[in-house]
Formats: sequence, C-alpha cells, structure tokens
Amino acid sequence: METKKETHFLLKWYQNSVIIVALIALWFVLAHFMDSMYVPSPLKVLNEFGKLIASGELFKHIGTSLKIAFIGLLIGQVLAIPLGALLGWYSKAYRYLDPILTVLRNTSILAILPLFVLFLGIGDLPKIAIIAWGTFFPTFINTLQGVKTVDPILIRSAQSMGIGNLGLFFKVVLPAASPYITSGFRQAASVALLVIVGAEMIGARYGIGYMVFVAQKAYMVSKMYVGIITIAILGVVVNYLVERLERYVIRWQEKPSLS
Amino acid sequence: MASTAQGSIPISNPDSDPRNLIVTENLNLVYQIRRSKRDTGPTSTQALKDVNLSIRKGEFFSIVGPSGCGKSTFLYILAGLNKKSSGHAYINGNEIVRPALDRGIIMQAYALFPWRTIQKNVEFGLEVKKIPKADRAEIAKEFIDLVGLSEYANRYPYELSGGMKQRIAIARALAYDPDVLLMDEPFAAVDEQTRGLLQEELLQIWHKTNKTIIFVTHSIDESVYLSDRVAVMTSSPGTVRKIVDIGLPRPRGQEIKNTPDFVKYRNKVWTLLQSAGERTEEVVEIDGRHVLESVPQDINL
Repeated sequence: METKKETHFLLKWYQNSVIIVALIALWFVLAHFMDSMYVPSPLKVLNEFGKLIASGELFKHIGTSLKIAFIGLLIGQVLAIPLGALLGWYSKAYRYLDPILTVLRNTSILAILPLFVLFLGIGDLPKIAIIAWGTFFPTFINTLQGVKTVDPILIRSAQSMGIGNLGLFFKVVLPAASPYITSGFRQAASVALLVIVGAEMIGARYGIGYMVFVAQKAYMVSKMYVGIITIAILGVVVNYLVERLERYVIRWQEKPSLS
Repeated sequence: MASTAQGSIPISNPDSDPRNLIVTENLNLVYQIRRSKRDTGPTSTQALKDVNLSIRKGEFFSIVGPSGCGKSTFLYILAGLNKKSSGHAYINGNEIVRPALDRGIIMQAYALFPWRTIQKNVEFGLEVKKIPKADRAEIAKEFIDLVGLSEYANRYPYELSGGMKQRIAIARALAYDPDVLLMDEPFAAVDEQTRGLLQEELLQIWHKTNKTIIFVTHSIDESVYLSDRVAVMTSSPGTVRKIVDIGLPRPRGQEIKNTPDFVKYRNKVWTLLQSAGERTEEVVEIDGRHVLESVPQDINL
C-alpha cells in the first residue's frame, strides 16, 4: 500500500523557524548599524525582559490585561450565544434588527470607547464594557448564521421522535450550530486582545498596552519592545488555546485531509 | 381496492379489525401554489388523492411509484411530519396528528446527528422517551449489536460508510421500540452491492423484531424482494393503483431474484407502473385497470 510520506520533524522545525531566526539575525545587524535609541540590540531587550520579569512588573501588567479581557470576553459571549441563537431561530425578528446590527458591528470599536468612558467613567468598567461590546458581534453573527443554516433533515429527524421545541433547540439546533459558534468565538478572542491593548493606551494605570504606551512616551525603548513582543506572544498563545478548544468542540467533524 | 371519487366508499372502522396497524381513509393532500396574477395555470395541485390503505401488523409493505407520485409525502403524513388536507390516517385505531415514538422514520439521507457518537445517536430517541441513562446505554448497545456495528459505537458518523450509517439509522429507530418503521427510500444512496446486503439484513431484522415495515422505494426489484405486499402508486394525482400480493416464500435470500416467480412479480409491478406512466386522466384509469388485468401472469417467463 502506498503511504503519504510524512515530513521529517527536523525539516518541519526548520521550515517553521527559519524565517523567524533570519528576522532576529536581521535585527542584530540593524541594531549594530542604527541608532540604539530606536533599535536596541536584541540582547538588550532580552535583558530588559529579564528585569521586568524579575521585578514582577511584567506579570502585573499581563495579569491586569488578561483579567479585564477575559471578563469582557465572557460577558460578550454569554450575551452573544443565546441572543444569536434566538434571533437565528426567530428569523422575523432578525429582519427588524438587521439594519441596526449592520451599523453597530461596522462601527470601529475604539471609536465608541470615549462614549463608554463618558458614561462609565475611567477604570476597569469601561474597558470591560468595550470588550464585551467588541466580542459580542463576531459570536452573535456566527451563532445566528449557524442556527439559521441547521440542516432541516436533522430537525425533521428529531421531530419524528416527538421531541419538544426546547429539546430540539438544545439537543439539535445548538450542537448543529456549534462549528459556527466556535468560529465566532475564535474571532472574539482575538478582538478581546486587540481591544484591551488599545483601550489601555487610551486610559489606564496598569496593563500591557499601558506599559507599551508609557515606555514609548518615556523613551524607554527596550521596555517598549518587551511590551510589543509580549503582546505578540500573548496573541499566539491565546490563538493556540482557542484553536485547541475549537478542535475539541468540533471533534465530530470530518477533518480536512492534510496534504 | 382503489376508491372512486366523492369519498363514498365505505371504509371499515379501523378499530373493527385488530389485525390492522395502520389504516388510511380517503387521504387527500392538496398543495396550494402561489402564482403571479398573470399566470392562469392551476392554483393548486393534488399530491395525494383518496389513498385508502390498510397495513397489517407485522407486515412488510412497500410502496413503489415514480418520482413525484407522493409516496414519500404519504409516508411523512403517517410519520406526522406532513399535514393532510382531508381524510384520515390511523395507527392502532387512533388518528395520527403528530410525530410520536410509536412510529420510527428512516430517511434516505440517514439524518444521523453528526456531533453524536454512534452510541449517542442510537440513544437519542431513548432520551426523548426519558429512559434512565443506564438503561439507555444498554438498549442502544443491544441494537447497535443487532445491526452488527458494535465496534463502531464510539465513532462519529463521518467515520462510517453510507451503508453503515443507514444501519445505525435503523438501529436508532428500533431502539425506542416503535410499532412501525417508516422507511423512505433508505437504500437509494448506497451502491448496488451494499444495497443487496442491506436488504438481506433488513429482512433478518424484520424477522427478529416482528416490526411492521412500510417501505417506500422506486426500485421494483427491491419492493418485490422485501415485501409481503407492494402498493403501486401513480402520479398526478398520487393514487394507489393496485396492491400486488407477493407470494414468494420466506426466508428469502438474494438468489430468489433469479427465480421465475420473482421475475413474474417484478414484471407485474413493472407493467402496472408502465401503464400508469402513460395515463394521467381519470377516465383512462378504468381502462388501465382492464389492461392490467389482461396482462398474462407468466409474461417473459
């Protein structure tokens, strides 16, 4: 029997890391020739990383950001999934709401932030609210779409067994829509990270976005780079975790054949 | 057997014959068609006209007919999933108004829940029936075993072939112990070889469980091979033209398909369908019946 040749793991490693390694090398070169004010050497940034970790400052910022992002995300999802499902189910109501939803979800989230600050003051509350707002829409729209496109055959099949409307909703409609819901959640999670950083730059006392912003103002360039790299790592980690979750939730779907 | 218009044919009270499981009386279904103002065509179409059938307990009953003759619609009315326009449909002497677990439907597209394992799919009806968890698992196992797919209990539907999926759909319907299996072209989507296997297995399951089966198909061979009786339906409007008793001995293996008797029954059904296809008007129906009766029984032998 002919089998597809597996890519050797060393080759895989090489493929995955060669460009990143090249970029770091480029950074060394640039740092050597350019003003260290703007482009500090990677070693200096690494050193700064160590210092910020040792002092606990970095984790305090990360902790604050993640906590607010998480609470906001949670609220957004808790609202988005039932409301999306409800409007997907009662499609007549959706026709009334569609125009206003289109306007709202296409309005830049950060443009609305001052409004939240105006009503909720400064502090954590407006940030949580803006993240809840921003993470609501992707999940809401996806859930709605998922519920609307449930295979009618499955609904008929369940109904043939005399299932009630409530059972139909929880045992058939929601699970059938789950691939859409998780896909919405993946977008929402990345929105949460994006928005928390932005919101912290506008007004905050802690948080990774705040750290980057202040470091830049104070010409603490190494610290700024540490912040940016931290945000990048956070993004990658969160994306990885959410993808794992997604793969678990939709483990019943046929996997696309890997090439 | 087939009735005339006006619904004046006296139909026995379904309660009076306890051997009958399902009885329909002058069952009609008229679809309203929404048309634009300029369109002068008919505003409604009759999908089913005066369908009168009595299906006995434990019987294997097939309905065969061309596409669009309303045979599937009829089945869905029995399932309680489709509405009828007039007439009656009874199960155990009670009018059918909605779906219930006394009827199990099996669809061509399997309709398994892709997010549930095979085990959990078979448990679905049992959950609706509010059977305790431990019992559910046990019953589901029993029926997955019955269709010979025990080792797939923890797999998901996408990991199964079409034939396997349909076996599971059958197991799922049997698990909640309905009085009748309503099967809507269940083997139409599988390859010829698998189809033969599934037919044989279905007969074995039927023997083991003593269920009544109403089987809708467009395959003449399939209907003759499986059934005690075959109802031949004609289209526009959908009516039962004739019911053919299949006098083949049981148990039946695939090899019976090569016997002269099988060929005789197949030709009989085929001829009924052929003559049905040519006629759409009521007047000719009587004529058609006459023609049918004159067909030599041993044609093509």
